[in-house]
Amino acid sequence: MQQRKKVWTKKRPIAVTIVALGILVLFIVRLVQVFHPLLRMNVFENGLGRPLADGLRLTALGAAVLTSAVYLLASLIGMVVLIGFLRVRRWAWVVLMAWTGSSLAVGLIDYFYSNPNYLVMASNAVIALALNQVEVQRIFQIRIEPDDQLARPSG
Amino acid sequence: MTNSPDRPADSRDRPIAAAAPDMELLRHYEPVIRFTQGEQFFPMDVVRYVQDCSLWAHYPNGRDELLVGQDDLTIDTLVETRPAAFGTVHYLRFIENLSLTESADMLTRQLRLRGRLRNSFHPGLGRLARGGLLPRVVDALFSLSFLLRGRVPAASAAAAELDYFHMRAKRESFTYYGRVVRQNHWTVLQYWFFYCYNNWRSGFGGVNDHESDWETISVHLYETDGQLVPEWVAYASHDYHGDDLRRRWDDTGQVDLEDGHPVVYAGAGSHASYFRKGEYQAEVDLNLPAWLESAGRIWNTFWTQMLGQQPADPFHIPFVDYARGDGLAIGPGHSRNWSPILIDEGVSWVSRYRGLWGLFARDPISGENAPGGPMYNRDGTPRNAWYDPLGFAGLDKVPPPPEVLRLLENNCADLTDRQARLNTVIPEKAGELQSLGIRLRSMEGNPHLAKQHTAMQRRMNALAEEVRGYRREYSENAATLESLNSRLERQRRGVRDNARTHIRHLAMPSRTTRRRFDRVGEAWAAISLSLLLFAIVGLLFLARRYLGAGLAVITILFVVIESILRRAFVQTVSELTALLAIIACAILVIHFWYWLIVGALVSVALFLLLQRLRELTG
Repeated sequence: MQQRKKVWTKKRPIAVTIVALGILVLFIVRLVQVFHPLLRMNVFENGLGRPLADGLRLTALGAAVLTSAVYLLASLIGMVVLIGFLRVRRWAWVVLMAWTGSSLAVGLIDYFYSNPNYLVMASNAVIALALNQVEVQRIFQIRIEPDDQLARPSG
Repeated sequence: MTNSPDRPADSRDRPIAAAAPDMELLRHYEPVIRFTQGEQFFPMDVVRYVQDCSLWAHYPNGRDELLVGQDDLTIDTLVETRPAAFGTVHYLRFIENLSLTESADMLTRQLRLRGRLRNSFHPGLGRLARGGLLPRVVDALFSLSFLLRGRVPAASAAAAELDYFHMRAKRESFTYYGRVVRQNHWTVLQYWFFYCYNNWRSGFGGVNDHESDWETISVHLYETDGQLVPEWVAYASHDYHGDDLRRRWDDTGQVDLEDGHPVVYAGAGSHASYFRKGEYQAEVDLNLPAWLESAGRIWNTFWTQMLGQQPADPFHIPFVDYARGDGLAIGPGHSRNWSPILIDEGVSWVSRYRGLWGLFARDPISGENAPGGPMYNRDGTPRNAWYDPLGFAGLDKVPPPPEVLRLLENNCADLTDRQARLNTVIPEKAGELQSLGIRLRSMEGNPHLAKQHTAMQRRMNALAEEVRGYRREYSENAATLESLNSRLERQRRGVRDNARTHIRHLAMPSRTTRRRFDRVGEAWAAISLSLLLFAIVGLLFLARRYLGAGLAVITILFVVIESILRRAFVQTVSELTALLAIIACAILVIHFWYWLIVGALVSVALFLLLQRLRELTG
């Protein structure tokens, strides 16, 4: 554990900084997405006076609140991952990569259905490429060089 | 490892008198072959095989003609000269065409026989579970290719197994054909093994089946004090060539010996020879077009160096060669021993029969066609292993240990002489060059000497080039001499090279122990491809509007499940994300190329401006 901190402080690759900045950009985008449905439903002016559900179905207000909640959760997870990432945790790299992959897949599907979000797509692409840098994979212990079989001493 | 250059023979070597007869030499180092449980075919005598065959000719117009029937074929009739047009293929046929009822009968009798003998094969971790989804797709295409390619009929293996069983029941003998070759101070003992059938595909899920099979191994000995001592042993195997085929006799980590006899672990059905027991992942060479291979190399460079991924090998079809060594063992110290037969070019069937030793299945990539004999390839050209046994094992450039010291000393002496000569020549030429230089300087400022000046300039340039060449040679020779002397000194002290430095690709058995999820992984491997196709059909029927997105989601889902079962989740997620990022980048470039160019120009302009301003301000 101690060694990881040492690596982080001494040899912080530029790619890690880029990824951290990318996460921050996405965090800000997600925060906008948290407040957008609530602003659209005038929740900050009128409060949550109206019902959120009608039987088993969500009302428009309920759907907006749920959407915001999901985005809020996503933002919070993003912040936890960012902290893990800054502390050079392997799990943070894996979660971030899986998250970025899913996000890219959704972004590409959205693009092909004429609903592109180029900023998110670009941020995700940058994060994916930065995370895949050999140096970054090494410090997160994702890449372990195989032992050279031929170097073994003979009998 | 320390030893004298021509190391003293230890108990593993069991040296033998160099004057011993060839048969005695062969018997002294004959191998022990350990087969896998479930193997049905063992090395046999070609005379008995030929008596059970018919001889055929396949003509370029596609017609096949029976030349000699089964009752009349003997070794003598086989080797008769038969003039034929270019493109004609002569071949033996061990199993005649079987009708549907005969095929069913053969398969039933095969099952009954195996049950009675209790010699069945258990595959362990299934081959399909050893590769990813993409190799499985390529594997499916490979299986489908048999619909278009020629192949050995399905019941042939069963019929061959029954025929061979009856031959063994009549008289059991296990034959190898031995040959002794003396080349470049080496004595090569070649052992050839003939099997009447290769049932790797039908019996063990391998690449191919074919009638008859020739395999070879060789032991390479050198002479010291009138004794022959083994130094190398080479086994022919799939996918390996030259240096990769041989191991040093004293490499205990690679060469198993039983009382001084090398142990060969034979692949089940394929009969390929391995040094270590285990299960080997075989690769199939798909013979891709050159442009596709170049594109693959470029992609791999980009994929590994720019994106930090592991090299991709999508065309690695997971065929397994099982060389477990848990079945029958033949050789010294075992209940089944060899019946050796000495061969050379003088043996008629070796040199005079250039046809195939089994069915010509008309397979254009030859995998299902029977092989040629020990001396010839399938097309009748001489076989490398026969005419150049040293080159076959990459030993053509390797002197035997007693020669090493002499050759090193000769090399050192030659180079030392050359250096001494250069030591005299270089100062002479350098002096001449200086003299020319001073003469040339004296001519300057004299217009009437212009012609002579130009000629002398040319002469001086040539001489300067010559001196440079000598100096370069001297410098290179010095480095070579240093390495030669260092090696010579090591040899004199008895330090030997690492036994494996010559190996570029070391055949290593894959893991055989089961791990968590292996059963599920195998089941998934068996059904995943069909399931994927069913899912696509379902998508076509139920949600055609979302076909693109659906296909993407289904594929990603399958790949992720696959990666979890193969314990490669992290690598797969990394690869998938990198691939999606490339697609996203391509889309961004297509949409924003104008702004990207503008951005790049602005960046370059700013960079140059800053550089120049820094220079200006000192």
